[in-house]
Amino acid sequence: MLLPDSVESLRAEHEALMQFLYLAPVGLVQAGLDGEIVMINPISAQLLMPLSPDGCLTNLFTALESVAPDLRLQCQQYPRADGMVFEGLHIHLRANDRARTSTPQILSLTLLKLDEARIMAVLSDVTAEMRRERQLRQSDAWLNAILTRISDYALAALDKDGRLCDWNDSIARVTGFGEHVIGSPYSIFYPADAMTDEHLLDRLREADNNGWSMDEGLRLRADGSQFWCSALIAPLPDREAFGDDPHAPSYCLILRDISDKRAATEKRRQAAFCDHLTGLANRRAFFEAAEIELDRAAHTPRQLALVVFDADHFKHINDRYGHPAGDRVLCDLANALRDTFRAVDTVARLGGEEFAVLLPSTGVEQATQVADRLRALVATRLVAADGFEIAYTVSAGVAVLDGTAGGIDALIKRADAALYQAKSQGRNRVAAWTPELTHENLPQRSRNAG
Amino acid sequence: MSSATTTFDARGLADILDASSQEQIDTFDFGVIGFDADANVQRYNAFESQAAGLSPQRVLGEPLFTNVAPCLNNFLVAQRFEDAADEGSELDDTIDYVLTLRMRPIKVKLRLLASVNSATRYVLVQRR
Repeated sequence: MLLPDSVESLRAEHEALMQFLYLAPVGLVQAGLDGEIVMINPISAQLLMPLSPDGCLTNLFTALESVAPDLRLQCQQYPRADGMVFEGLHIHLRANDRARTSTPQILSLTLLKLDEARIMAVLSDVTAEMRRERQLRQSDAWLNAILTRISDYALAALDKDGRLCDWNDSIARVTGFGEHVIGSPYSIFYPADAMTDEHLLDRLREADNNGWSMDEGLRLRADGSQFWCSALIAPLPDREAFGDDPHAPSYCLILRDISDKRAATEKRRQAAFCDHLTGLANRRAFFEAAEIELDRAAHTPRQLALVVFDADHFKHINDRYGHPAGDRVLCDLANALRDTFRAVDTVARLGGEEFAVLLPSTGVEQATQVADRLRALVATRLVAADGFEIAYTVSAGVAVLDGTAGGIDALIKRADAALYQAKSQGRNRVAAWTPELTHENLPQRSRNAG
Repeated sequence: MSSATTTFDARGLADILDASSQEQIDTFDFGVIGFDADANVQRYNAFESQAAGLSPQRVLGEPLFTNVAPCLNNFLVAQRFEDAADEGSELDDTIDYVLTLRMRPIKVKLRLLASVNSATRYVLVQRR
C-alpha cells in the first residue's frame, strides 16, 4: 500500500508533468495510423481548431484536410514499420479575414511513425522563420549562379526595353541564334507560353531594384529544341554614360545551359513545391507565385486572372468507387489542367478536390474561355479504375484582379463565390465573378456545395 | 444567490458570477475561468480545476492565453475578447470548441462573457 506521503508526491509530480505539457510551446499529438487522436496538447488545439472543418479534433488528418490533403495517403504509403514519415513539412494556410496579421500563415509539421498502430506529430508556427528563409534562399540562388563551375554560357547586352543590342559567338554556341536576333526582345529565348510582355519588363525592373534577377526553366534554341537554363539579368554599371540613346546597352543577360543539373534541382523543387498526389504546384508554390504576381501588378498594373476548379460530386465518386479511384480522378483532372494551361500559368492543387490556376496578363474573357475549354475537355474523358470507367465533370469560378479586389485572399474569395454560383446553377459550368455575388450570403467554402 | 439555479446558459450570468463567492462557484457543475483586462486569471473554480488536473495555485495570477489555456489563443476565442475590449462592446456568445484537458481532446461548449461595467471577463466550460 502506498503511504499518504508518496501519494501526495506522485500527485504533485503528475500535476507538474501535466503543466509541462500544457505549457510546451509546440504542438504535440499522438494518434493512430488512421489519424484518430489519442492525446493532444493545447498548442495543437490553438493551431488546429481554426482549420478544423468539422470543429472537432477527433482526427488529425481530417483537421488538416483542407490545407494538407496528402497526409493520410503519405502516412499509408510510408513503407517502414517505424520511422520519420516526414520532417518539417510546410503547410500553407489560407489567411482568414477575421484574423489579424499575427495569425499563423505557415505551419511546420513533423510526423513520426512509432509502430504499426501509432504516430506522433509535432506542429509549430514557422511564419516568421519562413519569411527570413526566403530572403536567404534568394541570395543562395545568386551565389549559385555566380560560383558554380561554368562550362558554357551566353552573354548578351540588352537595351532598356529588353531588346538584344548585339550578337556574339557565345549566343550562337549556347542557343544557335544568328546575328539577325539583334533588336529582338530577349523573350525569343523562351518558349512562347513561358513569357508574357509584362514579365519581360518585370525582370528588368527587379534587376534594377535588387541588383539582379534570376530564373530557371526551359529555354528555346534557334532550331526549336529546348534546354534547361539558368538566366541572370543584371543592370550594367555606367549605363547613364550613354545618355538617352534608347538602344544603348542597359542590362547584361547571362544564359547558362544547366541541363545536367536539372535532375537534382527538379527533385529538390518537387519535394518542396509539388503536390504529392498530382505533381501539380502545392499550396506553398501557389501562394508564393500569387504574392510575386500581385507585387508585380501593384507596381505595374496589368491583368491577372484566377480560376478555381472543383470536381463535381467528388464525395459521391469517393463513396461509390473508393478513395483510390477518387485519387485517379484527381490525377486525371491534374493532367487535363496541365495540358490546357500555359507554362507561365501556375496550376495548383489547393486541397481535396479544389484546384486553382493563376493566369498572368489574362483578362476575364480569355480566362473564362480557357476554363470552359478545360471543362469541356474533362466532360469527354473517362477514368479507368477497378474495372469501372468513371465519367466526371468540373465547375469553375473566375475572378480577375481589379482596383477593388485587394489581396490574394480577396481574389480567391471572389473566384469561390463564382464557383458557388456555377455549382448552384447545376454544375459542369464556368461562372465569372460579378459584384452582385459578393452581397449574397455564401457558405464559407465551396466544398460545402459538393 | 442559490447555486442550484445557476446554470451554464443562465441569463445575466456575468453579474451572477461577479456576485458569487469562491465557495458558490465551486459548487457549479461547469468550469469557470475569470480573468482581468490583462488576461491574468483571477477566478478558477473546482470543476475546472478537476477537469484540467491543475490546482488553483498553479493558475491564479497567470496569463490565461499563454500560460493556462494556450489552446484558446486564436481568433476563435482570445481575439473575441480583444475585439470586444477594443470596441467597448458586450460579449456573450456560446461556441462549440475542443479543449485538451489532460491531453485528451474533449468537446465542450464555451461561453464567452465580457461586459462593459465589469472588470472580470469569463470563459465558461461545459462538456457536450
